[in-house]
Amino acid sequence: MKYFKLPDLGEGLQEAEIVEWHAKEGNQVHTGDTLVSVETAKAIVDIPSPQDGIIAACFGKEGDLVHIGEPLLEFQGEQQEDSGTVVGKMQSAETHSEREQFTIGSPYRNDCTVALATPAIKALAKRLQVDISALRGSGNHNMITAEDLENAAKLNQQHGKAIPLKGVRRSMARNMAKAHAEVVKVTIQDDVDIHTWNQGEDITMRLVRAMGCGCRSEPNLNAWYESENDSLRIIEQVDIGIAVDTPDGLFVPVLRNITARSNEDLRDGLNCLREDVKNRTIPPKEMTGATITLSNFGTIAGRYGNPIIVPPSVAILGAGKCYSQVVETDHGFTGHRFLPLSFSFDHRVITGGEAARFLRAVMDDLSAEN
Amino acid sequence: MGMQEPMDQSQLHPMEPDTKTLHVVTMVEAINMALHRAMSADPSVVVLGEDVATNGGVFRATVDLKQRFGCKRVMDTPLAETLIAGISVGMAAQNLRPVAEIQFMGFIYAAVEHMVSHAARLRNRTRGRLHCPMVLRAPYGGGIHAPEHHSESTEALFAHIPGLRVVVPSSPTRAYGLLISAIEDPDPVVFLEPKRVYRMVKQEIFDDGVGLPLDTCYTLKQGNDITLISWGAMVHETLQAAQQLEQKGYSVEVIDVATLSPMDTDTLVASVEKTGRALVIQEAARHGGIASEICATLQEQAFRHLKAPVARVTGFDIPMPYFKNEHIYMPTVDDIVAKAITVLEAI
Repeated sequence: MKYFKLPDLGEGLQEAEIVEWHAKEGNQVHTGDTLVSVETAKAIVDIPSPQDGIIAACFGKEGDLVHIGEPLLEFQGEQQEDSGTVVGKMQSAETHSEREQFTIGSPYRNDCTVALATPAIKALAKRLQVDISALRGSGNHNMITAEDLENAAKLNQQHGKAIPLKGVRRSMARNMAKAHAEVVKVTIQDDVDIHTWNQGEDITMRLVRAMGCGCRSEPNLNAWYESENDSLRIIEQVDIGIAVDTPDGLFVPVLRNITARSNEDLRDGLNCLREDVKNRTIPPKEMTGATITLSNFGTIAGRYGNPIIVPPSVAILGAGKCYSQVVETDHGFTGHRFLPLSFSFDHRVITGGEAARFLRAVMDDLSAEN
Repeated sequence: MGMQEPMDQSQLHPMEPDTKTLHVVTMVEAINMALHRAMSADPSVVVLGEDVATNGGVFRATVDLKQRFGCKRVMDTPLAETLIAGISVGMAAQNLRPVAEIQFMGFIYAAVEHMVSHAARLRNRTRGRLHCPMVLRAPYGGGIHAPEHHSESTEALFAHIPGLRVVVPSSPTRAYGLLISAIEDPDPVVFLEPKRVYRMVKQEIFDDGVGLPLDTCYTLKQGNDITLISWGAMVHETLQAAQQLEQKGYSVEVIDVATLSPMDTDTLVASVEKTGRALVIQEAARHGGIASEICATLQEQAFRHLKAPVARVTGFDIPMPYFKNEHIYMPTVDDIVAKAITVLEAI
């Protein structure tokens, strides 16, 4: 309270005369202390202080007439918020927020890709059990028409419903389409003689090792091409993405820093990654950051391929199914085992010479005795 | 008697725009700050209205203006709204920038003649020779337990008039920025202040003299499932409703329309094209309101994207009840949440 006003003294009295002030400006008063004596038509009344405080000002002199509701005195202290001479009751802020956050206008550009349909078409779609989100309309503004729905329903009836791609398969579809659209890919193929290999040689580990040799020989192949600003980031550590086939789709976990680790360590690491992929427990970060990729599709079938490079990496090595062939040696004709290789590189940033020398280095390492 | 009236000191002690100090202010304080800033920046800005000078305005929106800018630029008028609007049109036509206060929107109707027949048409009538850079400020809306005539929301009356710009701030930040721009605008602006919000929230703002654009909505919250559209005091219920809907797992977009006429329909349409669902919330009575106009625009321009009929939460088509029953009239957070769910679950 800042102002203390003459309270209603009862008995329907509207005014009173100040008889004597018991407090002055600057006085400290306490609740209940007599502030002033006033005389009504009936009696002299002592008016007590409603609060503790220091008096800032007394209004009216002894002998003055004051009406109920008029200020008698003013207390010092916290200034009460002056909300004006308002009719009604204003809600006051208890707390304050910081700077208000908002967007001027709309944060979106108009790049809507949803299926467009009138309510009638949506109702028809429901009846025909057609999923309109999978349709592209043939009407004005790509609106879906009744004919579009009927065609889609007929197709469903004859061949069953198309199942929308989800999860890993959908990201495979997108990544591959993007890679195909962006990368200028060239694939070179060759066969490496592996007759020196022991029985039960770990093909994947040999390939991983050989790729390390290739990267040492041609460091440009272990790199990321950042096409949006035309720059090539050549990377020292070799992190090989290894394609793993699963019923859910293609996974590419990353085997890190392969040139600095022992064969056993790498084999354990790869087994772990494979197990995690199989159980679908692999964390996303274990599948990002590959600097070069290996696809060992020959473990299933296929001699050559033309592997796709997923940007920003610039190269991928594919290994086909081993085969035996008769070769002529110093000791006459004999059967040797061969491993067919298909090596794709991004010709935007890698020359044919660099790629061929990389493949040469890989083959030299593979054909060497372990 | 013989008290000396204060003179304009703004040239003696100029106030530089301050881009460093954050002021924690209520909406009414933000309005006062914007008036100080606009009057300092432009000597042609004058303030007039009932009790605006000596008293500082019944809500304290014009407090201290007379002390600083003098009695020639801050004028108490008689209780005559026709006169307030009429002399404002005259001043504006003769190169002043009057900012007139109508004490409550309930008393604005006497001023309508000048706003509709003259202010709104001056540029067109004179083929651009004269224009009318005036602002008509008025507190409006219910929820403060005021007597009759003090609680209505009749913004649609003005939004219907071509040539008038109708602006409604919903927060201290937008009150400051939009009022700065309204005063700088070369044409008449009806600036309606939701008085329930006057002291309801405090925000940190800079007194930098930078206006906010008058030709745009403001997206307060981004979301994907439904667009809640409101303005003025109802923005606060709308934001609370959005919070409750988010707790139920919906992603909600909230747009403050801010300028009711001419309206930025592009922002509204872009949002509804994304969400496919819209709910418009207004305190005013339903029939012929701004919400109706927004619904019509959305069905015209976003029809192909709509997943459900556009819905409204509004007041009732009755005179605003006396304060005892006011709470029954006012749209509540629960009303908004319930209606939003019917829209979200429509199809």
